[in-house]
Amino acid sequence: MTRIAGALPLLALWAVPLLAALVMAIAAAASSAAWTALLVHPQLWPALGLSLWTGTAATCLAFICALIISAGVYRSPAWPWLQPLAATGMALPHLAFAIGFGILIMPSGLVARLGVGGDTPPNWITTQDPLGLSLTIALALKEIPFLVAMIWSLLAQGDTAAHLEGQWRAARSLGHGAGSTWLRVVQPQIMRRMTWPLLIVFSYGASVVDMALVMGPTQPPPLAVIIWNDLNHGTAANNARGIAGAILLTLAIGSLAALSLLALRALGVAARPLLSAGPSPRPAPRFIAAASVGAAVLIYSAVLMLLTLLSFAPRWPYPAILPPALSLSSWQMLLTSSPALWLSLGLAAASSIMALVLVVLWFETQPRSRDRWLLVLAAASLALPQVLIAAGQYDVLLRLGLTGDIIGLFLVHLAPVIAYAAIVLAAPYRSFDQRYIAAARSLSAGPWRRWRLVKGPLLRVPLLTAAAVGFSVSMVQFVPAQLIAAGRFETLPMAAVTLTSGGSRSLSAAFALALALPPLLVFLAAAIAGRTRWR
Amino acid sequence: MSVTLTRRRLVSLAILLPFAGAARAAADWPATEAKAKGQTVYFNAWAGSEQINAYIAWAGQELQSRHGITLQHVKITDTAEVVRRVRDEVAAGKADGSVDLVWINGENFRTMKRDKLLFGPFAEDLPNFALVDTAGKPTTRVDFAEAVDGLESPWGMAQLTFFGDGAKLGQPPRSMLDLLDFAKAHPGLVTYPAPPDFHGTTFIKQALIETIADRSLLPMPIGKEQFLAVAQPMFNFLDALHPHLWRKGKQFPPSQSQVKQQVADGELLIGLTFNPNEPANLVATGELPATTIAWQHAQGTIGNTHFVAIPINAQAKAAAQVVANFLLSPQAQARKADLAVWGDPTVLDLTRLSAADTALFTAQAAPGSVTAPAPAIPEPHGSWVPLIEASWLERYGA
Repeated sequence: MTRIAGALPLLALWAVPLLAALVMAIAAAASSAAWTALLVHPQLWPALGLSLWTGTAATCLAFICALIISAGVYRSPAWPWLQPLAATGMALPHLAFAIGFGILIMPSGLVARLGVGGDTPPNWITTQDPLGLSLTIALALKEIPFLVAMIWSLLAQGDTAAHLEGQWRAARSLGHGAGSTWLRVVQPQIMRRMTWPLLIVFSYGASVVDMALVMGPTQPPPLAVIIWNDLNHGTAANNARGIAGAILLTLAIGSLAALSLLALRALGVAARPLLSAGPSPRPAPRFIAAASVGAAVLIYSAVLMLLTLLSFAPRWPYPAILPPALSLSSWQMLLTSSPALWLSLGLAAASSIMALVLVVLWFETQPRSRDRWLLVLAAASLALPQVLIAAGQYDVLLRLGLTGDIIGLFLVHLAPVIAYAAIVLAAPYRSFDQRYIAAARSLSAGPWRRWRLVKGPLLRVPLLTAAAVGFSVSMVQFVPAQLIAAGRFETLPMAAVTLTSGGSRSLSAAFALALALPPLLVFLAAAIAGRTRWR
Repeated sequence: MSVTLTRRRLVSLAILLPFAGAARAAADWPATEAKAKGQTVYFNAWAGSEQINAYIAWAGQELQSRHGITLQHVKITDTAEVVRRVRDEVAAGKADGSVDLVWINGENFRTMKRDKLLFGPFAEDLPNFALVDTAGKPTTRVDFAEAVDGLESPWGMAQLTFFGDGAKLGQPPRSMLDLLDFAKAHPGLVTYPAPPDFHGTTFIKQALIETIADRSLLPMPIGKEQFLAVAQPMFNFLDALHPHLWRKGKQFPPSQSQVKQQVADGELLIGLTFNPNEPANLVATGELPATTIAWQHAQGTIGNTHFVAIPINAQAKAAAQVVANFLLSPQAQARKADLAVWGDPTVLDLTRLSAADTALFTAQAAPGSVTAPAPAIPEPHGSWVPLIEASWLERYGA
């Protein structure tokens, strides 16, 4: 009975509508004409290759950096500072980062102004390069904070931290250096639990549109951009081709992810002798980690500084080091959107709390074997192009009479928040040491008391991380919100996207900062609240 | 229940018949206005310009005080989004639609017209339609070679316009062949957005118009074979132009706004827009320097009209018509044409206005405005567009 009751809210509010949305969206593409049109698209295969390449390369790059940073900083005095630092990076919306990073590296960007000068910008190909390298680097830089935060929260989880403490001492007393202990004791424990976070990083990178439009090549563009153009087209035939493209991209992402998983397993088996070798005095990679963190902090600071400057600068022609004139007009325009800000904050708070409750209820009542379906659906919902899911969600809510309705608006904000919460919480929840619960039970604590006094506090860090991630995800929801709101409600991203569609970079920068600030505060609050005595 | 028509039903139908068309007649305009009072019109309109948003807000205030209508600007990024929304609503049988009025033209209009998603005809029955310059501005009745048939009401005029910093440009190129010479002299500093960006497609259409041997083909439907034959000079031109473009024509910016930004940053010399007054607006907001100039090709550039239309499932059809009529009023059109407000050219025939109304239109030059306007050339028939886009993609896409 509790099993059904525990799963029902999540199924009713999230899984069923989402599946219905997927079915409706995909049914719309069940025409062979759409597939024929897709297959003869001259850019299809190079574009697909580009999507998979940028997604894969960005994920590998970001994960390697995140591992090196974690290995070098773990158990150092800087370790407690890593989480708030990562939170700052996570809070910045992807598109905002791309705009700021672009103005740093593009031919008329700050680097060229400081380093080259001259009357006209240099002939650099630093953005929109044909191989998508600048897009890859921007994506990787943007994902490093997320992956670091994931690793940090896994390691800071109460029960794991307690185990690791003992294992760390044991390994060190056996003669392992700090680097060797990380490699042989700590890292293997987090690798498996990073599968789902890595998967969403990969699928995000391979299906991203907004960053690709700023940084990515155009001839061909990544497949997601072609799909996005098709889905936004007014004619039904183009919409259908877009849906077919979205299905193809999702299948390709799924297959490549599955292959990578198998390869990683094989690699893990092959690496086993290495893991049990030793002891080795290898030290922690302190220097390279510090250099990586330093470089990332420098780039993020430059991006934030440039965005701030741009928000006050209507025009900033090359080769001026500073804008010729400053203006408050972008911020004044932003102020007219303050009702939208309040609505967004309310939706973000409500959806992140609701998502946490529903997901925890699921994990508490469902057997572990059922998680797979939850996580596959969550990952699929994040990997599929947003426009596609949004179209399906819209169809479903339209039939339920919930378009132009605050409940419908809330549900479309809730959907991705639940997906992220499930992915962030799955590993910490399922690796939780049940002996703590057994001990609490032996002290005859009831289920709610056990959760409140034992499990909740021990899982505080992942729970807070999930809430903060959820909040930030909700804050930037645009496509479904725009469709469902039907002009009856306006959220901050809706105001941002519509008002900046004229291409005012100054206004984009102001909105980017406004969108980054609430998640930043929530991330920092979560990081501070997460500093427990368990560390 | 059977659906045979009883005599009584026939009688009641006969009684109703005179009224069936009445809603359309201008004679019944006071009734429409009376019905409109108190209604809310959800006006779905692109919101990427501060000036346009402010103008719509002004129209809202006027409509509230004059007609008791609440005009709610639903800010959108792309009209195709609205087309999809209406189509989905109608397919789902939703009679109380979320859109009352939409800013539209071209392909989106054609789609809505063909899919029978539009209310009307209503436009030519609006009292102020009599003032529209249908003879001098034929695009007010033919939208991208598609007959308007009263299903949308003209609102403003648009024409392909180029701009750049006069301090750097010297003499701007005023034809496609001049542009080729200019690009050769300034390699890497000229480009155009990649289709299917609307401005990119328009640039190519302009190249087509300037290179095609027989322009009389353009208003007619065309097939692939014939297109490839008659468009060959255009492809020759593009082949010659591309090596001198930004990134040697191997990459193109994805949007007009990127081109605009690159011009402002100094990465490119020439930008393009469909609103002849956008450069002047951008000078006013400080995004472009005061030395900005705007021009059109001497033999004319592609021009069209933008409209407002009422979806078939709109809730406030009466009020939507009153709004459309107000937008056509000399006062609203003059304010819209004012460079300090928006600078959108009027669809009205100024000779048909009273002297007082004509005086409202005070043309003034501002930095960045077009000094020597060229004739507007109508859009080619809609069947050319997919062929242009597909063949461009095949030749230059990868």
